[in-house]
Amino acid sequence: MTMALGAAQVLILILGAPLARGIIARIKAWFQRRQGASIWRPYAELGKLFQKEDLAPPTSSLIFILAPRVMFAAALAVAAFVPVLQPFALFGSVGDFVLMVYLLALGRFFLALGALDGGGAFGGMGASRDALISTLAEAPLLLALAAVSISARSASITGIVGWTLRQNFFEISAVHILAFAALGMVALAESGRMPVDNPTTHLELTMIHEAMTLEYSGPSLALLEWAGAVKLNIMLALLISLFGPWGMAGSLAPAALGIALGAYLLKMLVLMALLAVIESSMAKLRMYRVPDFLGVAAALSVLAVFFTMIAKR
Amino acid sequence: MEFVGIAAGKVVSTSAVFLILTMVGLAVARRISTCVLLFSMQSVIITAQVAATAYLENSREAWVVAGLVFAFKVLGIPYAFFWLVERLKSPRDVKASTTPAQSVFVVVVMVFISYAAVRSYAFGIRVPEDALAAAVALILTGAFLMVSRKKALMQMLGLLVLENGIFLAALTTTFGMPLVIEMGVLFDVVVGLLLMGIFTFRIRDTFDHLDVSRLRRLRG
Amino acid sequence: MMVLDMTFWSFLALLGAIVPLLQLGGRSRFVRALSVLLLLAGSLAGLVVAGVCFWQNVPATLRLPSVAAFPISLTVDRLSAFFLFLICSVCLPVCIFSTSYVTHHYATEKARWMWALLSLFILSMIVVVTASTGLAFLVGWELMTIVSAGLILIEGDSEERIHDVYIYLLMMHAGAAAVVAAFFLYWPYAHGLEFDAIRSASVNLPAGMRTAIFLLAFVGFSTKAGIIPFHLWLPRAHPIAPSPVSALMSGVMLKTAIYGLVRFGFDFLHGGPRWSGYLVLAAGAVSGLLGVLYAIAEHDLKRLLAYHSVENIGIIYLGLGSSLLFLANGAPHWANLALIAALLHTLNHAFFKSLLFLGAGAISHSTHTLDLEELGGLLGRMPITGAAFLVGCCSIVGLPVFNGFISEWLTFRGFLYGSNLTNTAAQVALPLMMGVLALIGGLAAACFIKVYGVAFLGRPRSTEAENAAEAPLYMRLGMVLLALACILLGVFPLTVLSPLASLAQILVPGSTAPGEIYFISRVIPWVALTLLGALVVMRAVWRRQRVAAIWACGLPGLTSRMQYTSTAFSKPLRSVFVSVYKPDRTVSRLPTEQPYFANSISYRSQRTTSFEKFLYRPVVDAIVAAARQVGRLQTGNIQVYLLYIFLTLVSLLVCLRFLR
Repeated sequence: MTMALGAAQVLILILGAPLARGIIARIKAWFQRRQGASIWRPYAELGKLFQKEDLAPPTSSLIFILAPRVMFAAALAVAAFVPVLQPFALFGSVGDFVLMVYLLALGRFFLALGALDGGGAFGGMGASRDALISTLAEAPLLLALAAVSISARSASITGIVGWTLRQNFFEISAVHILAFAALGMVALAESGRMPVDNPTTHLELTMIHEAMTLEYSGPSLALLEWAGAVKLNIMLALLISLFGPWGMAGSLAPAALGIALGAYLLKMLVLMALLAVIESSMAKLRMYRVPDFLGVAAALSVLAVFFTMIAKR
Repeated sequence: MEFVGIAAGKVVSTSAVFLILTMVGLAVARRISTCVLLFSMQSVIITAQVAATAYLENSREAWVVAGLVFAFKVLGIPYAFFWLVERLKSPRDVKASTTPAQSVFVVVVMVFISYAAVRSYAFGIRVPEDALAAAVALILTGAFLMVSRKKALMQMLGLLVLENGIFLAALTTTFGMPLVIEMGVLFDVVVGLLLMGIFTFRIRDTFDHLDVSRLRRLRG
Repeated sequence: MMVLDMTFWSFLALLGAIVPLLQLGGRSRFVRALSVLLLLAGSLAGLVVAGVCFWQNVPATLRLPSVAAFPISLTVDRLSAFFLFLICSVCLPVCIFSTSYVTHHYATEKARWMWALLSLFILSMIVVVTASTGLAFLVGWELMTIVSAGLILIEGDSEERIHDVYIYLLMMHAGAAAVVAAFFLYWPYAHGLEFDAIRSASVNLPAGMRTAIFLLAFVGFSTKAGIIPFHLWLPRAHPIAPSPVSALMSGVMLKTAIYGLVRFGFDFLHGGPRWSGYLVLAAGAVSGLLGVLYAIAEHDLKRLLAYHSVENIGIIYLGLGSSLLFLANGAPHWANLALIAALLHTLNHAFFKSLLFLGAGAISHSTHTLDLEELGGLLGRMPITGAAFLVGCCSIVGLPVFNGFISEWLTFRGFLYGSNLTNTAAQVALPLMMGVLALIGGLAAACFIKVYGVAFLGRPRSTEAENAAEAPLYMRLGMVLLALACILLGVFPLTVLSPLASLAQILVPGSTAPGEIYFISRVIPWVALTLLGALVVMRAVWRRQRVAAIWACGLPGLTSRMQYTSTAFSKPLRSVFVSVYKPDRTVSRLPTEQPYFANSISYRSQRTTSFEKFLYRPVVDAIVAAARQVGRLQTGNIQVYLLYIFLTLVSLLVCLRFLR
């Protein structure tokens, strides 16, 4: 039963990812006083792409075809780490956060290789820029997770979530505030959202993620888009489960699970609204400003780790 | 009323973290207006702390101080600053001599140092270590801002941050100073600010900019 | 038991005498081919011996006649067995690779020397890791340096090459001097150089002597390992060696230094002074970060790989340092974990780095260049090499289900447990090292995206790359063997982890096998299965692809020169870390009187690392100045020389009078 629920959580994260994108777009439209498209539109787009034919550059190799698949498989594996409805996940209790971060890196590595395989200028440009961002994002991501893990005395994600669940909501510690701030900034960078990368741009000189996927089409592009959406969804779910898991089901009773689902959706909506506010009110940073942005995240995560030592005494 | 008590206790214990966040913000901010806003937020936190202390200690004077701090530091001084920025028509940039990443790491190191310094001291006289360390870090950050930013306006702001730190240190070590002294200190700051404001106008009129690093020409 | 000893004996004899003699003395091609076969068979036999010793924990001993007062003997204890296994398991594929490499690259005369020196080189490394007396160790150590220098010179002896080899020899001997001093400082306490005597003498060594010995060993072995700031020789010597030799030097020879450090730091000194952990950690962090940063800026493939060796040795040092720190703080359990991490990374690095160097050899064989800017699109032309190289890249980056990940994961875990210590400094320093390791990992990923993407993907950037053909059979075989080892160790790490845990228990007394090794060994196959399963399912949307032109802003004539180059790829990172590189850039325009209407503009950018400028230059200048002063004694006047003799006599007599 728990296993089935774990599988259901993965499905929520994977299948709900396009919906999250749609909702964010809708909220943004609302902020900008536009009508906005339906929140189900991303599904329609994925369906359309899956119908289309797959184009490949003349000089591309197997890596070009493999890259979106590996990226999606890695996103799938990472989704199995994140608790959603209950403090349990398929890999959550056996795997730890380092493994999770490195699985994310696996997907990114292959995506960048696929981009370079196109043989054009844009793929290299995107890969090069993405390498800069993901390189600098990795340290704060790991440090922030380490800080939370140290205060929970557990390295597995579910262990941390279980510990946080037992804490009083008002006992917010310095570690959690700092780690949340750091992780939030990293989440923006990792999922290619606004102050770091503009997901809606197609201007050749400013795009990062879009430049990497430029040569892809059809099912491959669909997988890439979907994997990107899953990554954003995972990041948001991770923030929720690490810093605000209250409301998760303690038992497998249907009522508890229903409450948990409701709480999850509510918290997700709040985060998405926050994201929409950020994206509507901030301009994209110049690329050479991004290291400063991530430097702040790194400083916050270093402080978070430092505060674990102070909190312990 | 039990709930208010818990909340007041939480304010005292967690305000240090939010203060540190504002310090990090000050280190990365590139616009003067952002810095002023951050200073205002910092003052809000300190007001909350004074109010919480007032509630917990049940002292009427402290409520007055909280009101004064709110009126001056949260509203008055930031408003004056915005007015000054508007009138001076100088570029919005703070003209930092260190990159934001470097500044952030300097601030982090300062937080480390303040905790290390306060630790042995706080043990002896049982004051909240976090708040005192945050106060020391505020003093250091204010000093760092004055050192590393070239705009005259930022030097004023650095002084204000430094003063915030001194105020917080006094608050945490004495659990609220006598009202007269508080008012005197506030008055001091306001007069100092006034003078510096006048001077910035003079500097601007004489040199056409606010970059104090170019005052070197006065050396003769 | 006897069989084991005999096999080991004959293996050594094969390496030391038979193969070189047959090569150099044999007249017919048959004899020489036989000796190569014998070398391969010998490596296999050595692998078996090492495997039995390492997995079954059977010690093998070999007594040799002693030289004067110094006994020489070789003993394979568990630590030696691990390193013996490492050497043999890398040497076998490298030798297989070399059979193709040598026939394609060298004439008979050079080929003979290559094989003879190669087998001596392997022998010297084996002697180093199995020696059970100081003298045997030092003999092997010296032989290793000299033979490898000879191997570097096989491919030519131009001025530049000799200069680089000279620097290599000079630094190696400076390091060796420190190692010799470390051994001989033991003399008054151990009355000999046998490891057993040294071990028992270490227990009641004066504190000052302990520190001195540890520092000398640290400096000596770090020079060999290429730890910054002693790394100067590494990016010079590795790229100019023949590729199989670079693979051995980087994959195996550097590991002998790790062996030495573990032998001294753990086996003899049981942790050294209290601050030793901080020293090793700091050295590891600096080497790891700077090594990978220098690597990113390179576009010569072998130089880049050489800098990555500096980085990976840094990661090994991070593990060793945290282990020492745990040991000093009375936490043997976690010291055990960190030590396992360091040793496993040593093995992993041996596999993937030699794989990558062999890949570089295959590339230079097919395209005659190692400049990344000249390569591109090789995967389609050299599929097997490309696939093996990809495995190497994934491993060195530390991606899950490849072997590099396991050791990095264990190192991370060690750092995380640092938060449980009671010592405040260690409590903060160790978890913060996670950030350093993550940054190193991220930079390495960026670097290998660059390497693989520019060399193997996209379209070829030169006609050589366009006409590249797949490497010969034995080259491919060597690489595939190593690639398989990388994957096997990545998916089923417990095969090596459980004997390593027993080894760590010997080196860290009072510890038990950490649960983490079972934990990761249980998880990783599931992760691999999930990834594989997902890929298989997605086979469903694996539609046949139609080839279409790529987007070129609507303009025709996209050429391969419009791709991102290696230099372009690393530009963002180089400008973020510009303070590390400090490049000297010069732009000159001709003619100079009309800068805006130049006929030719030349741009030159050069990096001299700060170490050369601020550390080595003053030292060298001081030595040269001192030598000049000493040189003034040489007047050339016969009477002055007689005066020297006379003065020596008188002073000796005076000494005699007072010393009595």
